[in-house]
Amino acid sequence: MPVETTDVTRTVDAPPRTPPRPVRRRRPRAGHLARAVIAWAVALITVFPLVWLLLTAFKPEGESFSGGLPSRWTFDNLTFVLTEVPFPRYLLNSAIVSVVVTALALLFHSMAAYALSRLRFRGSGLVLSAMVSTMLVSLPVILVPLFLIAKALGLLDNFAGLIVPMIFNAFGIFLLRQYYLNFPTELEDAAQLDGCGYPRLFWHVVLPLSRPALASLSVLFFLANWNAFLWPLVITSNPDLAVVQVGMSSLQGQYASAYNYVLAGSLIAVIPTILVFLLGQRWLIESMKSSGLK
Amino acid sequence: MTKIAVAQRPRSNLVSRRGLLGMGIGAGAAALLTACGSDNPHELSFWNFYGPSPTPSSTSDWFRSVTDEWNRNNDVKVRPRFIAGSAYMNGNTLQTAFSAGSGPDIFLLSPGDFLRYQNGGALLDLTPYLPAGAREDYVKGALDTRTVDDRVYALPMEIEPLVIYYDKRAFEQAHLAESDLPRTWDQFLDVGAKLTSRNRFGALFETLPGYYQNFVWYPFLWQGGGGAVADGKSIFDSEPARNALGFWRETQRRGISPKAALGGGSGDTPSNLVAGYCAMQQSGIWAVADLKTQAPKFDYGIFPLPIPEGGKQVTDGGGWAFAVNARGKNPEAAARFVAWALASTDAAGVDRARRWNTVAKTNLPPRESVRKAAEAHGDFTSGVLKTFATSIAPTLRSEPRYPPEVYKAISDAIQSTQLSGNAPGGAARQASDVIDNFLLTYRGGSIL
Amino acid sequence: MRRGAALSADRHKRETRAAWLFLAPDAVGLLVFVAIPMVFALALSLFDVDGFGNYRWVGLDNFHRMLSDPMLGRAIWVTVKYVVLFVPLSFAFGLGLALLVWNTFPGVGVVRTLLFLPNALSLVVIGLLWQFLLVDKQGVLTKMGRPFGLGDVSFLGDPKWALPTYVLISVWYSMGYQMLLFLAGLNDINGEHLDAARVDGAGGWQRFRHVIWPLLGPTSFFVLITSLVASVTGLQAFDLVFVLTKGGPDNQTSTVVFYIYQQAFSFGHFGYAAAITVILVLFLVIVTAALFKVTGGGRLHAR
Repeated sequence: MPVETTDVTRTVDAPPRTPPRPVRRRRPRAGHLARAVIAWAVALITVFPLVWLLLTAFKPEGESFSGGLPSRWTFDNLTFVLTEVPFPRYLLNSAIVSVVVTALALLFHSMAAYALSRLRFRGSGLVLSAMVSTMLVSLPVILVPLFLIAKALGLLDNFAGLIVPMIFNAFGIFLLRQYYLNFPTELEDAAQLDGCGYPRLFWHVVLPLSRPALASLSVLFFLANWNAFLWPLVITSNPDLAVVQVGMSSLQGQYASAYNYVLAGSLIAVIPTILVFLLGQRWLIESMKSSGLK
Repeated sequence: MTKIAVAQRPRSNLVSRRGLLGMGIGAGAAALLTACGSDNPHELSFWNFYGPSPTPSSTSDWFRSVTDEWNRNNDVKVRPRFIAGSAYMNGNTLQTAFSAGSGPDIFLLSPGDFLRYQNGGALLDLTPYLPAGAREDYVKGALDTRTVDDRVYALPMEIEPLVIYYDKRAFEQAHLAESDLPRTWDQFLDVGAKLTSRNRFGALFETLPGYYQNFVWYPFLWQGGGGAVADGKSIFDSEPARNALGFWRETQRRGISPKAALGGGSGDTPSNLVAGYCAMQQSGIWAVADLKTQAPKFDYGIFPLPIPEGGKQVTDGGGWAFAVNARGKNPEAAARFVAWALASTDAAGVDRARRWNTVAKTNLPPRESVRKAAEAHGDFTSGVLKTFATSIAPTLRSEPRYPPEVYKAISDAIQSTQLSGNAPGGAARQASDVIDNFLLTYRGGSIL
Repeated sequence: MRRGAALSADRHKRETRAAWLFLAPDAVGLLVFVAIPMVFALALSLFDVDGFGNYRWVGLDNFHRMLSDPMLGRAIWVTVKYVVLFVPLSFAFGLGLALLVWNTFPGVGVVRTLLFLPNALSLVVIGLLWQFLLVDKQGVLTKMGRPFGLGDVSFLGDPKWALPTYVLISVWYSMGYQMLLFLAGLNDINGEHLDAARVDGAGGWQRFRHVIWPLLGPTSFFVLITSLVASVTGLQAFDLVFVLTKGGPDNQTSTVVFYIYQQAFSFGHFGYAAAITVILVLFLVIVTAALFKVTGGGRLHAR
């Protein structure tokens, strides 16, 4: 099973240089070409809003609604946002929160997923159902009670408040569990013989083996936390703790008419997510495949 | 009080400097784990949407200077906290904090939210803290919507009347002269049609649902003698309400008005009028300052809101107020700050209020003494501000303080007629039924 | 024999203890930050809560009130329309795109990336971006629509257009994610099945219908469930509405979650908001369970 998994994974997301499966080579050329053209066309249409954002952020004031290229390329907007507005601070805050949440979430979720997939104990089914059922609840729906609890725990207006409540999310447990289910049983038997305890087994065998799944989840978690808006807005009141989405919205509030600044801010807010995604997408696609969603 | 504070000044300065130093050293690690100073009765939080903002502005400067001045002379410090306008007005930050019992000590409150906070027991009675003669100094009606049973629960810092701003160049291009400025609804619709072109709308009224939209629509309701609630019953299902709903619907039907405003909405003139999106725009007196700082070369004029045939000239005077959280850490000190900041009758106090209303922002001052001081300074003696002071001010009516349920019923009626083009008759009747139904069980401050 | 039994009992004990230790951080976290708030919400639904610390026991009044609230009915109707449009459309787009980029062709990696990119953005930025693009008369996309007679359409301001526009933006946002899920499913399909089908003379449609589609069952199920939940309570049901339209125009984009939010934060009816929440979560549990039953849940609970 696992052998097959890794095998397929390799072919899945093959960069173009890997030879395509023989099946595909037999396809009619014309159809192949047409498909490629359509795919490219759809992709370009899809990213049009982003291209527009990219171009417009470099346009001088007053051209924000025009299509096409800037009449004059300018860095003024970006410079303004980075120097006159504490954007670097927002970026730093977002980075701290996103990285810490992602790291802790991955650790905790893989531990829980390991217990729920590889260890036999009474009540495991119940725990799993209970955890999965929390996936039906969304933040706007429990905002007030969650805020009350965060306050009782002293999480108002500090990094801990931005971080701790955002770690726990059953989605990650669920995906990792599906992934661990595919590990061969021999793996544990071998480890047991060596006299390796569960923590060591987890740390030295399970975690390294789950690298692809963790890598992809780390991309997803990072993006989700970088993009989070509602919770940071509510839980922090100290401007020094503002994360980038909150900063963005206050920029929009203050410079409603200075579109060039607002768009430059949007671009800066978006760049890290795009970078992370570009760097991490290979894992993302790979482990989605191996996550057991088949 | 002042004497003691002055005597203690050096010491408290030392303390705070040492405190700052300590905070600086421990900042990184400590901030991670502790909510610093949130229960300290000597530190009052003051939430507002002006300052200190991340970027400099005259309104931010005023907030900073006022709190700085207070903090120099008092042991109990006021810490202003900036929340962006959009998040403050439409967001949940303030409400979430209040519902968790950790609302700010001092905050800005709009008339639309007054009753909800008052009925919830969240507002401290400021009456005992007002200096002698302060209440009499407020212009007629300015305190009415912040008063319950003759007690003042919030202090207004400004009065913001609504008018129509127009783009003089757009008028010229449409071969319209000063004498064509519309006075009635029909004239307004005609002129609006003439000003509408492929790229420009003739006139802009708010379209986004919310307190602001209701606020700017009420004058049209009042012009014909309409209202929402009288003697504990809805009076909304009436001719004036149907007409006012119909007027706004007509601006959409004729394609004169956009279905969505740009930038910060219809109160934002630089984004709409200056950008050439519309030729006439309903906005408040604050736009004078906005236009002066953001589009100094833009050539514009103002005229009073158009009225129906036989209607009376009236405009809505909005404006925010300082309020004190009755369950705050130190409500008494907070109330002293608010009374000092906005109601002091000494020269410095009057000047502070004058600076807010004429330098930091443009408003009609809510206090007579402040108005006089502003006039003595040459404000309100020329240009559009003079028009505001002389011809708009007498037609003022305070922004109503309807409870959210009443607001929402009216909002639904406006949205349904304006944007979906539904018949005003049905919309007014439905809203009226909802309001009556709500009033059956309403207990709280009188609905004004 | 006896020694073996003792050993295995001992091992069982150790395994159980280890399992609970591994579960502890997440179990505690989910309990404190998800389960307890949920129970809190349930409790709130039995009170009249004004948002200023005042609670008054009202029993089931909040639930009664729902029956005679026309605006709640409207919000439910908006959500139903949204789900009925969004779920199939995003499913079709996700699957279609996955099939389109399944085979390699020059630049396939780039194409996949571009298609996923919208999903990496924050909804704050997305809302802002589309507001710009769709501004009446002057927006880039509005101007592009002019030759097609759409130049005077107010995409986000006209009650007739707002919901479809909101659906399209949601599809644009989530189709890349669903495409990835489908790609994962597709890549699990054994090439031999397809080869066999091809040898049997099956055309493209038949291969899809008889080989690919059945094998995609569990993936489809997962996509369906997640997009259903997301479209009823997820970020796109709230954040996107909040930044794009504030529920307007004429309440046409006021989803149930947005309505709950409004009841709580604009009107201070926290108890009533909690009551709607309870019903909503209950509804989702039932629908999810029913879908599980009907479809067998794919292999979500394998092993």
